[in-house]
Formats: sequence, structure tokens, C-alpha cells
Amino acid sequence: MHFLAPSLLLGLLAAALPWLVHLIGKRRAQPVRFAAMQLLLRSEWRISARRRLREILLLVARTGVAAALPLIFARPFAERTTDLPVASLDPQSAVIVLDDSASMSRSAGLSTMFERARDRARALLRQFPSDVDLALLQASAGSSPKISELSPERARVLEALESSVCSARPADFASALRSASLILAGSTHAKRRIYLFTDLQAAGWEAGTGLPAEGAPEVIIDDVSGAARWENRAVLEVSVVPAPEVGTGGIAVDAEVADFSAAGTRALGMALKVDGVSVAKGFVDLAPGGRSHKRFLHRLTGETGGAHDVEVEIDGDAFRLDDQRLAHVELARSMSVLIVNGDPRSARNEDEPFFFAAALRNGLPGAVVTIKLPDDVSPESLDNTTLVALLNLAQPSPAMASALARFVSAGGGLFISVGDRVDATAWNERMAKLLPQPLGLPRTASALPGQHAGEIVDDRPAERLAPIDRSHPLLANFPERGEGLVSARFFKYMLLDPAVEGPDRSVILRYESGAPALVEKQVGKGRVMLLSTTVDREWTDLPIRTGFLPLVREAARRLVGVTGDEEAASLRAGEARTLVFTGDEQRLEVSRPDGSVWVARRDQASSTRSVLYSETDRLGTYHVRAVGPDGTVVARPELDFVVNLDTRESNPARLDPSQRPDRIAVASPGVKPPKHRVELWHGLAAVMIGLLLCESVLTLRRRRI
Amino acid sequence: MSEGGKASGERPGLLDPTDLARLASLDLRARTIVEGAFSGMHRNLHPGTSVEFTEHREYAPGDEIRRIDWKAVGRADRYYVKRFEDETEMHTFLVLDASASMGYRRRGVSKLDYAGYLAGALAYLVGQQGDAAGLLLFDETARSFLPPSTRPGQIREVFRLLEAAQPAGRTDAALALGHLGELIDKRSLIIVMSDLLDSEPDEPSETGPLPGRLRQLRARGHDVALFHLLDPDEVELPFDDLIFFEGMEPGDARTLLAQAPDLAQAFKRESQAFRDRWRAACLEASVEYRFARTDTPPTEVLRAFLADRQRVVRL
Repeated sequence: MHFLAPSLLLGLLAAALPWLVHLIGKRRAQPVRFAAMQLLLRSEWRISARRRLREILLLVARTGVAAALPLIFARPFAERTTDLPVASLDPQSAVIVLDDSASMSRSAGLSTMFERARDRARALLRQFPSDVDLALLQASAGSSPKISELSPERARVLEALESSVCSARPADFASALRSASLILAGSTHAKRRIYLFTDLQAAGWEAGTGLPAEGAPEVIIDDVSGAARWENRAVLEVSVVPAPEVGTGGIAVDAEVADFSAAGTRALGMALKVDGVSVAKGFVDLAPGGRSHKRFLHRLTGETGGAHDVEVEIDGDAFRLDDQRLAHVELARSMSVLIVNGDPRSARNEDEPFFFAAALRNGLPGAVVTIKLPDDVSPESLDNTTLVALLNLAQPSPAMASALARFVSAGGGLFISVGDRVDATAWNERMAKLLPQPLGLPRTASALPGQHAGEIVDDRPAERLAPIDRSHPLLANFPERGEGLVSARFFKYMLLDPAVEGPDRSVILRYESGAPALVEKQVGKGRVMLLSTTVDREWTDLPIRTGFLPLVREAARRLVGVTGDEEAASLRAGEARTLVFTGDEQRLEVSRPDGSVWVARRDQASSTRSVLYSETDRLGTYHVRAVGPDGTVVARPELDFVVNLDTRESNPARLDPSQRPDRIAVASPGVKPPKHRVELWHGLAAVMIGLLLCESVLTLRRRRI
Repeated sequence: MSEGGKASGERPGLLDPTDLARLASLDLRARTIVEGAFSGMHRNLHPGTSVEFTEHREYAPGDEIRRIDWKAVGRADRYYVKRFEDETEMHTFLVLDASASMGYRRRGVSKLDYAGYLAGALAYLVGQQGDAAGLLLFDETARSFLPPSTRPGQIREVFRLLEAAQPAGRTDAALALGHLGELIDKRSLIIVMSDLLDSEPDEPSETGPLPGRLRQLRARGHDVALFHLLDPDEVELPFDDLIFFEGMEPGDARTLLAQAPDLAQAFKRESQAFRDRWRAACLEASVEYRFARTDTPPTEVLRAFLADRQRVVRL
């Protein structure tokens, strides 16, 4: 211990004062002849132990206070050697880069690797001399800089450092070092240095150092892991596919697990969790550095049509973030489809429902498809049906028309396709309330000007679809240019009479001529969709185009009001998600795993009516909902997504020394390690205040004994 | 309880012990106390009644009106009250502790002085009623004994002995009461006044042989009252400094050096427990227990004593 003003230590003599007072006080005791000695001695006997202890404590407290005062004024301090970089003692401009990537969240003793890095950075900040300009960056991909310009205000940098937290993003050292060198480029100091606090994991260095070839600042790496190797096991991939063989709601969950250790892992415990509840368990053996796959079969129960978080978890290790991986599935409502075949044929591939039923069965494996002739359909047969498809039906009977009106109003879906047998007059008369647009005259493409060459299937004159509008939810998942649909040729279609425009009616697809090809209308709780051509090859070759199956599948889902029995999009932490506005939606809201909500307004969207959501720092499921002009909120489950860890962060491989960008070592041999001065008077002052408090309490208690 | 002790407008006779000490003689003090105590109340110390008439006595203020013999008034044109056998046979013994501890005084009067005031007042009252009053002063032994008598000059003799009493010697109240029990053969009222200090063994949960003596007296048909007198210092220990305490009684070598304020709370508790023990012991022995601090006007103590006794008899 050293003192700035050792002469003031003479004041320590004051510590003898309490003792002197004690001794003097003893001599001037007043004698009293007292009658109640017996009572007095009993009282003394009862409190003597406590009193003696209290008197000793009082004496010690008072002596301590008397001794602490001169000690504090003498300004004691201690010197401690530090293992922080010697270079930090020079006047310089410095950028501190803190590795906040996911791997830094692994535990290291009682703290995490990130906390250790932050502690080291804090110590370095305090060690810098006063004439140092400082900036602070984080190394995770896409992170915003904490302090992006050089500043001499150390307190501000310290505050920013304290507020930094570890993210789930992967590291991107090239970007971080590039930013740091750009910040230092404007420095007035001759010495410009980057101090990087990291665990030196190889992940994040794939893009190089990011430093300029000429005039690059010095880089000093502080390896907070102490070059210690760490072993890890991780879930690398989780995928969910329908498993109808298990039953309704059956899913197969495939998980890929990896080992990053020298010894491998035997009987690693795995668990399948659905909505946070463990539903299946298993074990897997992993060779050193090897990978293994595990499949879980499970049947989702509960409300049909519900969304589920499916998670695969392995036994925990030091790095917890990659011990589980998430998938989000939207379970389709069980679909029961009744197809009314209005034009039965003996040849199967010429039969009207041939392509339509095949598309349904393949596109929606859980769907139950029933095909009936018009005469076999009774109003009662609609009771257990979710979707009715009337294919080239000549005319619905009045009873059937009434039953269909009730069916759709109650929430059922109705798909209508036309053909040669359709009696437009009868349809318009009996189904006026249900048809999105009244049926008109059939029109052949031969009546159109020009022909399309290059087709090998059919040389008949044909028309194609106009470019598709992906803002409609039914087409949102199609490729941007509508591949698979726009190549379809339409030799004949039925013109539709004009109808009053309204929010309940929309044209989904149009022909090049502008005539409606696929129109939908909301009726009550249900929906009706009208295709103005056939679903067999008589009027069009659409059924043999690649877009036919997804078109039928999406149309069926939309009519029934459910989304797919599919896994939601999976992003890596830090990746952005494009969200598209549809219809007249005014706001899109993203509900994060921690419950907070991010909001995008329509006027923030680009010309493609899309916005970019990039705040994917947290692992988990993100739900999207849309707010209409009247304030109604509807879920957009097709936009939901999950954020999982970038698997590169799971690999504990260290950066090859040859690729390290640092040019001077943290501890140079032969250089005397710097000493760090630790002021002690603060602690002494705290002790003195404590002693004063004790003295006050003891003095008060003295009256109560 | 009066702190200042000055006579108030409402209670002119309520003088505190220090003021009483300024009065010339015990006779005067006793009368002052008695007059103060009996302003507006009955003064009979022996309220017992008997159907067997024995004699007439001239009326004195405080006598019950109903006991005035109106026939005798008609004959003699003076007021007489009837006396019955019970009253004429009752003797009163005033038993005072005169050991050295009774002489403790820092402010006000000593416990022995205070006991003298009370005893004098009671003797005066007894004499006024024509009853026989006796006196026993004790320390380790019976120091002075005056048998009860109704002869003229008895009360003056009592006053003389009380005024001449000096605190000295150690205390042995049990021995003195044992001695008294042997001397009296008639049913009597025995009023004991002591600080009871050092009447207990060292074990704080016991009260020594004195309660046994009190029980014996009660068993023989005597009416016993115990006045427990303590100085305010022996209740609260109101000292402010470092004190070297020494025992008062001869041969008591006990000393204690202590910061008195440190001890005050514990001492208060101990003193309260001491009084509680004696109150319980007296209750068990069917002895009337009365505690009095020496800064309390004796009039107040006497008034409470007499009022309680009358209330008990009426019940």
C-alpha cells in the first residue's frame, strides 16, 4: 500500500483518544451508597455479557473512526499489475470491438464468455490514459455501432459498454473491423488501434479481416477464452413434414444433431417438444465430430387448424442456444371435398374431375375427396363437407342451389368451373347470389387476333394469362413472374358479365384480353370461386401445367379458410424477412418471442408493397397479423416465421493463427507489464461510514438495555 | 401521583412528603395527613360491627351518622356514638422497618421518615377513635416495642418513638414479626412498613421466610397490611453518570461500578419484578399489599388505604 500524503498518518494518534476517554471516565466515577444493591446486582448480572460486548464494539468502532480519518486524508492506493495490453498506455485513437455473437453467450464458470469480454473491455477503458479518443462497436452481423465516432468522453463509452448485451446473431468480423478502420481513418492521433475482445472462434472470419491493405490500423486481439478449447453438441436442423400414416394431424419431425468434440457422445438425450410440452424422447450416439439424424413421429391434437411450435432439444451443455431448434407448423383443418362431376366420361383422363381430384389429393394429403354425379348429390350430403366443387355442371337444381347458398353462408367453400355443358341462363337465375359474376357467352381464342407460336402440345389458337398479382394471398407463394401459370394456354373460356365492384369480390387471375379467369366472392362466412374455363384439357392445357397443382391447393385452402399443413419459414438470427401487404391492409404487426410488437405502416412499404423486417435477434417464433382500414385485426399465419441460430456459431473450431489480423501480442515478452493504480480511500470511507452507523446504533441501544 | 407535592386548590391537605417535613412536629404532620385524607370521607379504621353494645363515645368527625345515639343526644345535649364489642377489642400494631436501608435518601425524605409519617397518621387516627395503638421498630431484632393501649399519652409516646427512630443495622423482618406474633394474644390489625430490600434470598424467584411469617399472623386471626415503601431511585435508577454503588447496611461489602444509564432499563424491569413478587406473595397469604414511593403524598396513600378497607367491608 502507498500513500499520496503519508505525513497525514500522524493523525493516527487520534485513535488513542477513545481509550483515553475510557480510562479518564473510569476515574471520575461518583460514589453512591445505595440500598437496592440486590436489585442492582441482578440487573447487572442480566446485562453484563451484552453490555461488555457492546462496550468493546463501541470502543473498536470509535477507534476505527478515529483511525480511518487520517488514513483517508493520506489517500492510500495499491498498485496491481495487469494482463491488459501494454499498448493501451500510449496516447492513441482506439476502437473497441466487442464480440457479441451467439457463441459468446456460452457459460464460462460463473459468468458467460460475453460478460468476461465486457469485463476485460471495461478494465481496458479504465486503464487508458486520459488523452485517448474512443469508439465502441459490436461484432455480430447487422448490429448497429454503439459509438460510431471517436470521442474523448470515457464515461459515455463506459455507459455504452454497460448497456451492450450478447445477441443471437452470428459474428461478422470483416464488417466490424472494416467499420473500425473507417472510424480510425479520421483520427488525429498517430497511433490508431483496434482492440477486439473475442473468443477467437473461426466462425465469423469467413470474409477475411475486412481491413484495408494499406494503412490499416493495428489490431490487438484479447482472447477472452484463454485459448481454452470447448466441446459442443448442437441441433443443426429441424424439419417437419406431414405424416398421414400416423393419422389426422400426424407429423414427422426430422432432426440433425452434430457433435463438436474429440471424444464423441454416447446416448445423448433428445426430446421433442410441442408447444413447450415434451411429447417424445430418445437417445442418439454421436461419433467424434460426427452427425446423426433422428426422426420423431407425432400426432398433433387439440383444435384443428391450430399453429404449433415444434422444438427438438438435446441435453444441455455450456452453449445453450444451439441445444434446441424450433419449427412452426400451421396444421390444416381436415378437408372434406365433394366433387360434383357434371360431365362424366368413360376414359379416366378425359373425365372432368381427373386432374382436379389428383391435384387435391397430392397437394393436400389429408384431404378426403369424394366424387359424385349430380343426381347422387342430396342437400344432406353437404353436412360433413368443407368444400364443394361443381365441375362443368349443366345447372344446379333449385333445391341444390338453396342448399349451396346455406352451405356457403355457413362458412363452406364452393369452387365452380365451366364447360360445354353449362347452361349460363339457368346458372345466373338460380345461383345469382353465389356467383361472383354472372356467366356470359363462351369465347374461343380463335376469335382473338394473333396466335402464339412455339407450343408443341396443341396448335389451336390460344390465349394466356395476364401477369399475376402476387399481392393476392392466393398467389403470394407463386414465383414472381408466375412461372407454371403464365405458360398455360386457354383455347376457350366463358366471358363473365359485368358485376358491381365491391370489397367482397375480387378478380384473382385475368386473361391477356383482360377478361376474368378466376374470380372470388365472399358470401356470408364462406367464399365462392369461379374459374371461367374447364379443369380438364377440353378448353385449356392448364391442368397439365406445373402451376395447376399449387393453384388448386391454394384455392382449396382459401375457400376452406385455412393455410397449409406446412412448416413456417425458418430464418437464421440476423436474417431479414420480407413482409407483403395484401388487399387494403394498413398495418402489419410482428409479435416477437418476448411479447414485444413491431409495426410497419402501409406508407412505409416499397413499390412492391413489401417491407423488410430485420430485428431477428431473438430465437423463437414470430407471428404476423394485419390491421385493416377499419381496425380489424386478422392473423397472417402464412407470414409467420421462426428464427433459429446460425449453425456456424455451434462449431467451436478456433481461428487459424495464420489468419489472425493482430500484429502485436497482448503480452509481449520482455516488456514490463503495466501497473494499474487502485485507489483505496473510497473503501476506507465506506468502512468509516459503516463504523459511524454502528457507533450510533450501539449508543442508541445502550439506553434500552 | 403528586410530583410537586404543593397543596392544590382542590385538595388542600395533599402535601408532598418534603412539605410535610417542614412542619414542626409529627403530631402536626399526622393531623395534617389525617385531615387531608378524610376530607369528604369516613375515617373509621375498624369498620366492623357487633350487636353487643359496650359504651358511648363522643362523636368525632368521620363517624357514621347512623351510629349516633339520638336518645343520648336528647338526654345530654351532646353527640354520642354507640360502641360495640368488636371495636373496643381491636388493637392496632404499627410495625416499622428501621434498618439502615430505610435511611436511603437522595432527594425528598427517607423511607423511614415516610414510614413515620404514615405510622403517625394512623396512630393519630386510632387514638382519635379511642382505639389502642402499639408500635414495633425493628432491624435485625425488635429495637423498640410499645404495647397497644388506650391510655392518655399513648399516641404521644408513639410519636416520640417515631421521631427518635434512626436508620441503623441490618434487616430481618421475619424475625421481628415472629417476635411480634409471640407477644400479641388478641386479634389485631398489624400494619407493616418496610422496603423489603434484602428480605429476599439471592435467588431472584423467591421471597424468603417473611411471607411465611405473614401467613402465620393471618392464621392467628390478625388483619395484616404491608406497606412496601421504595425511594424513586429504587424504582427507576435515574442516575446520569458513571456511579460507584456501595451497600448501605452494616457488613454489606457489595459494590458495583457501572454506567447507570446502561443499567436503567434492566433495573426498572428488575424492580417491577421485585414488587410483583411481593404483591403475589401477599395475595397468597391474604395480606393487603400496598406499594408507595416516597415522593407520593402520604395523604393519598392513607386515603387509598382507608377507602379500600371500607369498600371491602361493604362488599
